[in-house]
Amino acid sequence: MSNTAKTSATGRPSLGSLQKRRTADVKGQVFLGLLLLAVGLAVAMVLAVLFSVIVDGLDVLGSRLWSFLSNPSSSDPEKAGVVQGIRGSLLIAAIVSVVAFPIGIGAAIYLEEYAEDNTFTRLIEVAVRNLAGVPSIVYGLLGLAVFVQSLRGITGGSSVISGGLTLSLLVLPIVIITASEAIRAVPSSLSDGAYGLGATQWEVIRTQILPAALPGILTGAVLSIARALGEAAPLLVVGAAAFYTTGFQGFLDQFQGAFTALPMNVANFAKLPADNWAGHAAAASVVVLVVVFFINLVAIIARARITKKLGR
Amino acid sequence: MSTETEAPTIKTEIPTDGQTAASDELPSKGVASPPVFTARDLTVYYGDFRAVGDVNLDIGEREITAFIGPSGCGKSTILRCFNRMNDLIDIARIEGSLLYHDIDLYDPEVDPVAVRRRIGMVFQKPNPFPKSIYDNVAYGPRIAGVKGSMDDLVEESLIGAGLWAEVKDRLGSSALGLSGGQQQRLCIARAIAVSPDVLLMDEPCSALDPIATGTIEELMKEMKNEYTIVIVTHNMQQAARVSDRTAFFTAEADEATGQRRGKLVEYDETSLIFSNPNDDRTEAYITGRFG
Amino acid sequence: MTATTSSRPAAARAATWTPVLPTVISRGAAALVEVLLYLVLTIGVAIVEYYVAGPFTDFGPSNWWIGFVIMAAWTGWHWAGAQGPVGSYVDHYIADLDGMPACFSCIAVRQLTRFGVLFGLPFLILDSNVVLAVALAVVSGAMIAFTPDRRAPWDLIAGTVISQSLAGETTRTLPILTKPSDLQLSNQRVAENKRARRVLQSAGVSSIVVSGLIVWSIFSEAWEFVAASDFSWGLLRDIGWFPRRDKFDLSTLFVGTLWITGIAMLVAGPVGLGVAIYLSEYAKPKVRSIVKPAIETLASIPSVVLGFFAISFISPSVLKPGGSVFGIDFGIFSLLSAGIAVGILTVPIVASISEDAMRAVPQELREASYGLGARPVTTSLRVVFPAALSGISAAFIVGISRAIGETMVVFIAAGGSGGAIFEADPTKPGQTITAAMASLGAGTDSVAGSGIAFQSLYFLGALLFIITLVLNVASDAIVRRFRQVY
Repeated sequence: MSNTAKTSATGRPSLGSLQKRRTADVKGQVFLGLLLLAVGLAVAMVLAVLFSVIVDGLDVLGSRLWSFLSNPSSSDPEKAGVVQGIRGSLLIAAIVSVVAFPIGIGAAIYLEEYAEDNTFTRLIEVAVRNLAGVPSIVYGLLGLAVFVQSLRGITGGSSVISGGLTLSLLVLPIVIITASEAIRAVPSSLSDGAYGLGATQWEVIRTQILPAALPGILTGAVLSIARALGEAAPLLVVGAAAFYTTGFQGFLDQFQGAFTALPMNVANFAKLPADNWAGHAAAASVVVLVVVFFINLVAIIARARITKKLGR
Repeated sequence: MSTETEAPTIKTEIPTDGQTAASDELPSKGVASPPVFTARDLTVYYGDFRAVGDVNLDIGEREITAFIGPSGCGKSTILRCFNRMNDLIDIARIEGSLLYHDIDLYDPEVDPVAVRRRIGMVFQKPNPFPKSIYDNVAYGPRIAGVKGSMDDLVEESLIGAGLWAEVKDRLGSSALGLSGGQQQRLCIARAIAVSPDVLLMDEPCSALDPIATGTIEELMKEMKNEYTIVIVTHNMQQAARVSDRTAFFTAEADEATGQRRGKLVEYDETSLIFSNPNDDRTEAYITGRFG
Repeated sequence: MTATTSSRPAAARAATWTPVLPTVISRGAAALVEVLLYLVLTIGVAIVEYYVAGPFTDFGPSNWWIGFVIMAAWTGWHWAGAQGPVGSYVDHYIADLDGMPACFSCIAVRQLTRFGVLFGLPFLILDSNVVLAVALAVVSGAMIAFTPDRRAPWDLIAGTVISQSLAGETTRTLPILTKPSDLQLSNQRVAENKRARRVLQSAGVSSIVVSGLIVWSIFSEAWEFVAASDFSWGLLRDIGWFPRRDKFDLSTLFVGTLWITGIAMLVAGPVGLGVAIYLSEYAKPKVRSIVKPAIETLASIPSVVLGFFAISFISPSVLKPGGSVFGIDFGIFSLLSAGIAVGILTVPIVASISEDAMRAVPQELREASYGLGARPVTTSLRVVFPAALSGISAAFIVGISRAIGETMVVFIAAGGSGGAIFEADPTKPGQTITAAMASLGAGTDSVAGSGIAFQSLYFLGALLFIITLVLNVASDAIVRRFRQVY
């Protein structure tokens, strides 16, 4: 541990004391080894999950990719598909973007730019942070109580509207937090400059703060869509259907009728007897992963492009 | 001491012929009337903390007035009162009166945004917007509701800030690609694009190298013909070089609370402040004995 | 023109008015350049046509049209951005004289130009294809029109000449201030500012209302469970958790939850912390740029996928062979398998929050330590780790909170669907709070009317809410204290 130079009799350090130690730094090597082991394990976990799911799903995806993607649910393993899940997930994503983004980003702007710095505001900030940590299934309960039961007349009970609104609430704190952070990261010199030129508060926000915070806000929004698309637990409670038959669906039926989502497809397939259905669960998992990774990729690319465009 | 410093404008009426060739048309050394700003007992509080107090001074039209003093003396705080930038700080509070062309700037009917449009500001660190050079200059007029083309206005403003020749071929490129001195001149162009009456400059050269500083000082002297300029600087040579009048602020510990708070010590023509200061503290500061 | 634009004294303004003639000449030259370019293009098209299609017999309108299409596209694109060669020839920015519309005729000419009529007219005469001419004129005009402040030289020529001949020199000075109300904004801007504030405020308020709604809806229903006539606290101690048979043994769920959380943290704690230390203290930027996204990938994998991974890989391929060595017989469903999968999900949380905490430790501390001759291991463990300890403990608490709240993995892989008998052995199937809720919720419709089973769902939800809330507040408080240190 101590690395004090051995000094010769004259008090000057000898050359030897400044040379690299020949004896191995055992403790350091062991420590580094442990760290690398941890990193290796973590990376192995990622690879194991991805590879095992892909390998298991190859059976179904390889033999009938298109019919798997375009068929509705069925009790026949040869016919079962995830088109209802894909449609449900798309509708949910649309509802989340329409509901959660404007409210969440608006709330973030309000909290960061307008709200006075008092106890009440701080309380709200703490509440929002903690809501982000509330388990997703609890949001399912909220959806069940409010959207499915109280507002049955509007949502049609266990429908994609209920599911979408529930997931909107789930991602709302995430949108608020990421947008707040992005807004807070905008240097105050920009807003000072705009104020100094006679801009109103809203003009400062619109012309300086929002454009500068846009990459961060967008990234947060897109990632929260990815989160919403991967969630199954709240939908389970809200009542996403395991199986339903699709007849002719009118416009309203699409929104108010029975629904499911891609993660629900995975859960349902996984709950069925493994002999016939394990491949389906894996195949549906691959579809979910592709969708989620694609969205993440979009977020990364969008961020890079906007950042570049803003010249920073 | 305190009675002297509370009414410094009175002092400036003592005639000193021959010492100031620059102000020929001002036989009396008092600020040409009517003054642009008139501060009376101006005091700024941050919460309960009295940051700077009892400032009395007049700012003359088309003059450069410099605020100098050690850090923490409240010179920037006073400057930010002049275009109500202090309003942006929740806890800041003003007492006393501040007239701008005989209008109380803190009158409830006065909109701070409208004030800032007539009284522009240049900040310590160059802060161009992350947009093109053109859009930076056009920003102020655009938010003020000017429609249509601004090409000539942009050109004129950039010429006014002495930047046109350097950037005319790349108006569309990002302002962040300019050098520090160019960025600061762009900020000046941006400020004059809204045709202000007054320009407040908060240590505009502190982040710049000596050559860029010299350019901006030259620019200020030219702009004096059209604008009233108030500059805060920690650089005494700069104040001596460019300003017509100088106000010296200092920070002193309050006997009751022990907190350091700023006050205006002396305000006079620059040549007088630097050659024959009335106050010992001013002399000590400008001769480098403290600060 | 508008009252908002005041200007300098007239003298300064007049100076910029004098060189108007050179401006007109240069703008005229620019317009001529455009015409020449057009001719060159058209001839170029004809030449290309000659080589591609053989000798042409007619240098007719078709070539003019192709040239026009190219010109229109080029003009729309380049003038819009003011980046084209002609743009730079005339100092990029060409417009009418004072930055705003000078007179009515000038505006009229500009509006005509904006919709491309000036561009289109000559070709309407040359060629009879009116529809195409109008369409092209509108397209090219619109491309110019939708980028304000820039326009084609024809417009400028016309605008300059007309505004010169019709509009006299205007002198404007700053409006004289006489009363405080002179320093006010236009009503429109004030109203816009207020409107924006109202809209944003309502967004903020509605998100608060939503938070209140969650708490209220859950706790009111949970209270119904406790207040129900057939409820007694004795019900919460039984042989297991079978809500549909009115057996609500909380200890079954607590033990299950504890096992899952404990196993998950045994996996995620060391691995996450190791990754964090490595990334923050050892990794070179290049390694970091590979490892960090890989770990973050883990965070974006939906939990259903990990639930499936637990029963398709962890149980059969890891636990079964491993268990047979020790003589333990693992089934597909077990708390251990689900716990490991939850642990995998928790790794990125622990890793990223701990790493943030360690990177927040000032570089000076590390340099001080290295300056005393310490090695990386000493610096990491004796300097950085203690300094970041509060952040790291916050990371663990958040990880625990996440593991407690994890639903789908346990629902799929722990095997206790419907109900479970009290089980303290992690190698056997079990039930957690969340999975019990999911099981209840999955059959919502059949549960809805049957006694207090449905309300038990909310009772569990309230419990879960309180537990995670306490953990989150704790981690928040720790992080807050930690921030104050630096």
